[in-house]
Amino acid sequence: MEIDYLLVVLLSSLTSASVLIIATLGLAVIFGLMGVVNLAHGEFIMFGAYTALVVTRSGVPFSIAVIVAALVTALFGAIVERVIIRRLYGRLLDTLLATWGLSLVLYQSAVLIFGSVTPGIGMPQSNVRIGDYTISSYMLFLLGVAIVLVLALYWLLTKTGYGIVARAAIQDSETASAIGIESGRINTMTFALGSGLAGFAGAILLPAVPATPGMGFAFVIKAFLTVVVAGPVTLTGTVLAGGLLGSAANIVASFWTTVAGNIVFFMLTMGLLRLYPNGITARWNRKL
Amino acid sequence: MTISTQPDQQANSRIGKAIAWSDLISIAAAVFVLLIISLIVDPYLAYVATSWVIFGIVGLSLDLVWGRAGVLSLSQTAFYGLGGYAGSIAAINFSYLTGNTLIWSLPVGMLVGGVVAAFISWIIFYGRMGVLQTTILTYTFTLVLWTATVSFSTKVGKAVVGGDNGMSNIPPMILGLGDAAKQLEPNAMLVTVVLIAAILYALCKALAKSPFGLIIDCIRLDPVKAELLGYDIRRYQLILFTIAGGIAGLAGSLFAAWSNYLNPSIFNVQEALSIPIYVLVGGRGTLVGAFVGALAVGGLSFWLGGGVIGGQTTLVMGVCLILLVLFMKSGLLGGLAQLFALFRSKREAKQAPIDQTEQRVKIDFDLLDKIRLHANTNSQSVELSSVDALKSFGGVTPVNRVTQSFKKGKVRCVIGPNGAGKSSYLKALAGTYKLDAGQIKFGQRDITHADPFDRVRQGLGIKMQKAQVFDDLDVRTNLWIAAYSRDRNREEADRVSGGMLKMLGMVAQGSKPASQLSHGEQQWLDIGMVLCLSPDVMLFDEPAAGMTKDERRQLSQLIKTLSKSAAVVVVEHDMDFVRTLDADVTVLHQGEVFAQGDIEVLRKDERILDIYLGRRKHVQAH
Repeated sequence: MEIDYLLVVLLSSLTSASVLIIATLGLAVIFGLMGVVNLAHGEFIMFGAYTALVVTRSGVPFSIAVIVAALVTALFGAIVERVIIRRLYGRLLDTLLATWGLSLVLYQSAVLIFGSVTPGIGMPQSNVRIGDYTISSYMLFLLGVAIVLVLALYWLLTKTGYGIVARAAIQDSETASAIGIESGRINTMTFALGSGLAGFAGAILLPAVPATPGMGFAFVIKAFLTVVVAGPVTLTGTVLAGGLLGSAANIVASFWTTVAGNIVFFMLTMGLLRLYPNGITARWNRKL
Repeated sequence: MTISTQPDQQANSRIGKAIAWSDLISIAAAVFVLLIISLIVDPYLAYVATSWVIFGIVGLSLDLVWGRAGVLSLSQTAFYGLGGYAGSIAAINFSYLTGNTLIWSLPVGMLVGGVVAAFISWIIFYGRMGVLQTTILTYTFTLVLWTATVSFSTKVGKAVVGGDNGMSNIPPMILGLGDAAKQLEPNAMLVTVVLIAAILYALCKALAKSPFGLIIDCIRLDPVKAELLGYDIRRYQLILFTIAGGIAGLAGSLFAAWSNYLNPSIFNVQEALSIPIYVLVGGRGTLVGAFVGALAVGGLSFWLGGGVIGGQTTLVMGVCLILLVLFMKSGLLGGLAQLFALFRSKREAKQAPIDQTEQRVKIDFDLLDKIRLHANTNSQSVELSSVDALKSFGGVTPVNRVTQSFKKGKVRCVIGPNGAGKSSYLKALAGTYKLDAGQIKFGQRDITHADPFDRVRQGLGIKMQKAQVFDDLDVRTNLWIAAYSRDRNREEADRVSGGMLKMLGMVAQGSKPASQLSHGEQQWLDIGMVLCLSPDVMLFDEPAAGMTKDERRQLSQLIKTLSKSAAVVVVEHDMDFVRTLDADVTVLHQGEVFAQGDIEVLRKDERILDIYLGRRKHVQAH
């Protein structure tokens, strides 16, 4: 086996791990900071993808469309938090069910509005040559996006007023409310942030993953399992779990089929969860 | 106060008993009516209604785990689909031998559904996974099956599993034997399915009423307390989950025989989503609600005639689920029950004002002696000890190399300022915290790695800081569950819990839900539950909190009496209470043993005053 082949396998594993991390961060932020799992996360990704698609097709450059998609999805998330999630605080399983219902509503709405097949966006495909092999330059770009996204989130959650308050609220909600932190507003912002990240993921992945109504279901299996394996330490855990599981599934998928990759992903998760039932970071001292 | 033993013995004997005749009669009556209807309805309606009943059975399997055990599983349709495929494969291959098809498909479907559910729940419950993680894992399991089966093609004997094309030629329901046996007509099919559903329902009802079902209720209400009563909650959850998986699998093979065709869409999200909707519509935790919900939803869409919501079923279902969760938490049956309860409580309030004077807890020490005497026939003096026990959370070390041993004879009090590690040490002894280093021994046995329930079974009794009682269960049942843990014998549990109720002087409150007790009464009930276990070593974390002066006096006397026959460890804040216990005292400070000895000697120790008052010298000693 030659060095260029190994390099390509390594890079493609890293990029597919990046895709997974990009798609998971929104879910992880909501889970980590609110203790809520948004089962409609996949459809939020789809929401972002379609928003970016519509905006691009109306003539706006793709880079701006991505930002618009993130903002619109964040706004949508804020509304969902106000209308549904807020009424269900302290009822964990009911929150799951309500977001599950929402996921189907969004899916079916997308089918109604866009039909089940949609045209992709015309992005020029360019490849990078590595020895005898090529790798899509957009996929390499996504690797960079994942790194920047993680760093930006780290900054947001540790250095800004919002981030510090949000983390305080989840660590000790009673003290937080006693010192005048409005957990309601913080939760709306957190849910909007998570939704915005999902929308951003759908948009930025659009050139690689075309928008379809069912695309959410394909993403969420891996995203959910990644969050569960990651455990309570949101950022580090997600990067670690996403990196590990994403590359493992990619290696299996490249030698076999995507479905086999999915199954390996699932089995690996089951194994990890048997060893670390509350996530690989459950016993860590770090908080992010 | 004299109490006749007659009425409470009667009340006792109902707890944990198999299904009552009145229940069976009402089930039989309902089934009879349904059977009549099944026979006379239009064959097409009978055909469609058969599927509603089948969905009701899947709903029943969800309500078993969600309504009773409090675990939301989104993989019931996965067990249902797998059971359907497996049952059909068996029926295709073997039914030529008998003519009868269900004889092959039902057991195989049930077995496969159960085995897969057992595997999943082994991972979930034996890993002690959280509630959220459980739901997500079950959901992803369904999604993985959905994506995997689409491209999964294979041939098992004569059965062809054709990926997205599905599996066809599944034999219909045939009950008769031999070559001449005929396929059931729609009405007969409905009758068969209704009968199967009724049997399953009756069995589930009986299960829910049995001690097993009561323990499952306790696990839903407070899993930690259930384990501290000596129940291996993982085992109970696994068994329940397996039973539910088996029921779902059986429903799957019924469905396959009904439709003669299966494809991967049985695993899809829409299918999975409809099951919690049935349960929510009917009423969670009622078991029969699943059928009510399935019939209501099925009947409504039949009546609306497909066309109205036609292709938009998914949309409507999604919206329905959101609305149900937001506005109709207890479902149709739950709503009715609430109305009824409201009506009844209004009437009762008018009738009998409850006599407040009888509600004071009073310990009957003669009875206590009898109960303890009976409990301690075989145990010699058992010693609980920790050797260099260490537990740390990141930078904090609440238990730092604590070496102690506890024997019967004299009460031992563990004291120390806030954050000294008292409760953490107790949790380490109880096993809810696992040690990072060191050893815990019970008699000769090393229990460092034993689970809490295992330690309790060895003879440890634990009362945590916050009074832990099963809110929805009445006082008597609370005690009964504790007593049942010891011998797993109903008569013995009746006797012990009845005695304990009298000893505590709580007979008048026996049928009150524990949630209605005052804080002090809940403490007594919790202590009573620990005593029902007849432990050789008892750990009490702040037992006097929330008690009146008179109650404290009685508690102090109780603890001293107990210490004659068992090792008793009391964590306390209240120095006056500690003094009445005439105890040996261990002072913890920053996770370490700071001092030890007689309370009167320690009271004169300046250093201990220093750490209690936060005075400089010893506060920063570490």
